[in-house]
Amino acid sequence: MTLLNRKTAALGIAAMMAIVPLAGCGSSDNGNNGSASSSAPAAPSASPSASPSASPTTSSSASSSASSSESASAGPSASQTKLTGDFEIQYFVGGYGDKWWKKVISDFKAANPDLNVIEDGGPKINDQNKPRWIGGNPPDFVYIDGPNLNDRQMVEDGQLEDLTDWLQTATNVDGDKILDVLAQAPQQYDGKIYNIPLVLNSWGIFWDKALFKEKGWAEPANFDEFLQVSDTIKAAGITPFIHTGKYPYYINGAFLYPAIVSNNNDDYTILQDMAANKVDAYKSPAVLAALNQIVQLRDKGFIDKASIQINHTDSQMLFLQHKDAFIPNGLWLPNEMAKDVPQGFDFGFIPSITQKAGGKVVANTSTATVAIAKKAKNPDAAKAFLQFIFSKAQASQWAELSGAPSNIKGDISSSNAPNFVKDAAKYLTDPNTVVIPTITFNADVDKAMQDATDALTIGKITPEEWVKRVTDAVAKVQ
Amino acid sequence: MKARSSNWQRGVFIGTFIVPTFVFFCIFTIYPVVRALYYSLFDWSGMSENKTFIGLGNFRDMFRDPIVWRAIGNDYFLVAGKIAGIMLVATFFAVALTRFRFRLAGFFRSIFFIPNVISVVVIGVLWNFIYNPQIGFLNAFLSLFAKEKVTIAWLGFASHTIWMLLPPAVWAGIGFYMILMIAAIQNVPESFYEAAELEGAGQWHQFSRITVPLIWEQMKVSIVNIMMTTLNGSFVIVWIMTEGGPDNSTQVMGSYLYQMAFRQYHFGFAAALGVLILLLSLATTVALQRLLRREVVELG
Repeated sequence: MTLLNRKTAALGIAAMMAIVPLAGCGSSDNGNNGSASSSAPAAPSASPSASPSASPTTSSSASSSASSSESASAGPSASQTKLTGDFEIQYFVGGYGDKWWKKVISDFKAANPDLNVIEDGGPKINDQNKPRWIGGNPPDFVYIDGPNLNDRQMVEDGQLEDLTDWLQTATNVDGDKILDVLAQAPQQYDGKIYNIPLVLNSWGIFWDKALFKEKGWAEPANFDEFLQVSDTIKAAGITPFIHTGKYPYYINGAFLYPAIVSNNNDDYTILQDMAANKVDAYKSPAVLAALNQIVQLRDKGFIDKASIQINHTDSQMLFLQHKDAFIPNGLWLPNEMAKDVPQGFDFGFIPSITQKAGGKVVANTSTATVAIAKKAKNPDAAKAFLQFIFSKAQASQWAELSGAPSNIKGDISSSNAPNFVKDAAKYLTDPNTVVIPTITFNADVDKAMQDATDALTIGKITPEEWVKRVTDAVAKVQ
Repeated sequence: MKARSSNWQRGVFIGTFIVPTFVFFCIFTIYPVVRALYYSLFDWSGMSENKTFIGLGNFRDMFRDPIVWRAIGNDYFLVAGKIAGIMLVATFFAVALTRFRFRLAGFFRSIFFIPNVISVVVIGVLWNFIYNPQIGFLNAFLSLFAKEKVTIAWLGFASHTIWMLLPPAVWAGIGFYMILMIAAIQNVPESFYEAAELEGAGQWHQFSRITVPLIWEQMKVSIVNIMMTTLNGSFVIVWIMTEGGPDNSTQVMGSYLYQMAFRQYHFGFAAALGVLILLLSLATTVALQRLLRREVVELG
């Protein structure tokens, strides 16, 4: 009897194992090149119910009555209509904390007493809510930040509401047009807008002003000065430049991309073309020239050999310990390392170091955006919330509570924001700074560029090979 | 009548043990495997509501992807390196701690076992410090013998960086297999060795003629186990130490799976990689079993 059982069980398993691959053979000649095709337009929805395990609704939003009304009055009048029902906000809690979210949500609640605001916040929220996005039951409003959440991917997956038309006329609670109060314009995907930048941070190069003063080194303002002072620094026994090879997007974001723009006569559309997977943009001489600036650093021995294998924290520690003079990083660095900054350390910062003498400074911004889910159950409330948070009053409030510059134009000099935030805001609003609006590359292309840059910094490939590799990756995802 | 009911009782008794286990096995092993097989046939970002059925397209892409081949190569390099390294050292220690009686044997046994108690994550971090070019132990140690300060980036070579992951992987594995070997050796009757000694057999002869044949079963299990845990689990040490970098030179199948699923949003492709790992593990297990087949010597 047991033998029989075993046989049937084994047969059952064998059958299960056999059927699935067979089912695949049935109609496999769908030429679609598996990887990465940006297949947004209504793919044949293969059982969307496939959400694995985890019951979709953990926080009772299912009861929401509003059955995804498409209407969602696009006008500024939305804030006047009385908002009711449930309204759910997903926000990741990371380096910027959640103080601002708590504050702004409670203010929004106070302004809309009949609205039941549900907060989905936390450092793991992106993973926790994932089954709901897959299952077609997402929260209404999402703050796109942190790991495992990529705005371009969400757009390609058709999960975000198209805000293009609405934004043309939308005003905030003060009556100002939202597009006008943004320091940095939203990224466009094929001419459409899906998400609005909330944070305005910048990549750039840091050094210690105190150290430079003590040693009598000149703080560089362009690439020539940078090379000169690096020579002096190297002669003094300190390695001029360290980056994190484990996460090469730091050197790409703070060094390579601004360099490409500088070499393209300060025209940042080249980066937007690159992000739109236009192969020709990658073949531009500006890209090669920028890559050759990295090669110069490499060949002069300015790049710390440790860079290639260390993570961002290790590279930042070595920088703080004065083992290295310059580090490509983001404006969050002082906050991130606050506990480890030695006494007397004085952060010097410039958004880019690759421009010619007399050239403009190029700031490659880094942001986190907010968006409305396409399947939002309460899109009216979500839009009202957008109108609420993109008001001038929030500029100072965000800067104070999160320690980073906000993407809302507004004078924060009188606020309690940290000094480096005020300095950064000054840089980013300076007319002589070329501000690159945040650009999200296709994840495959991004990875190819990171790998190639790493390989370039250790002399494994040439700039031409960098271009070849990356254009191959671009061709594959087109 | 009575025989039948006792038979039935026996069935119930066995069933109470087997059925729950089988149910859990189905839910937590069979179902995910089937699910992974299913996902591997789709072009799916892992986040979207929609999946596109592409048949075996992911597998086709996989075999065209040079990184997959490098990952397979790295995995088998680690398998070979770990089997050789761990088995040699673990067997040596086991023999030394059992056959060459000396004081402190118990102490050394505990010392060698310690890496097994430490989580692989900690081991990865620890070795990251050893390999750190600026503040690492290895360069500091080498600097003692060099005129200039040694600044080798141990995890940053243009190629073959995977070699550097072998020492931590071997180091982490020795303890467990050493204990396994010690247990096996202690099961060999002392009289065999006494007889061999009387006949004039030296330590090497005793080892190769008595110890190895009698612990071969355990050695075989160890080798197969090292192989399987490496193919399925080398991800952890790779991810902690290099994340597959620099420039994908230390990518293994597990780390590339993670990279593709959660960093590059190709969940279907990653599922296909998972299927590949499963198939390769099965095939390698069968091959190794064949390869290691020997006449088993059993104690009567």
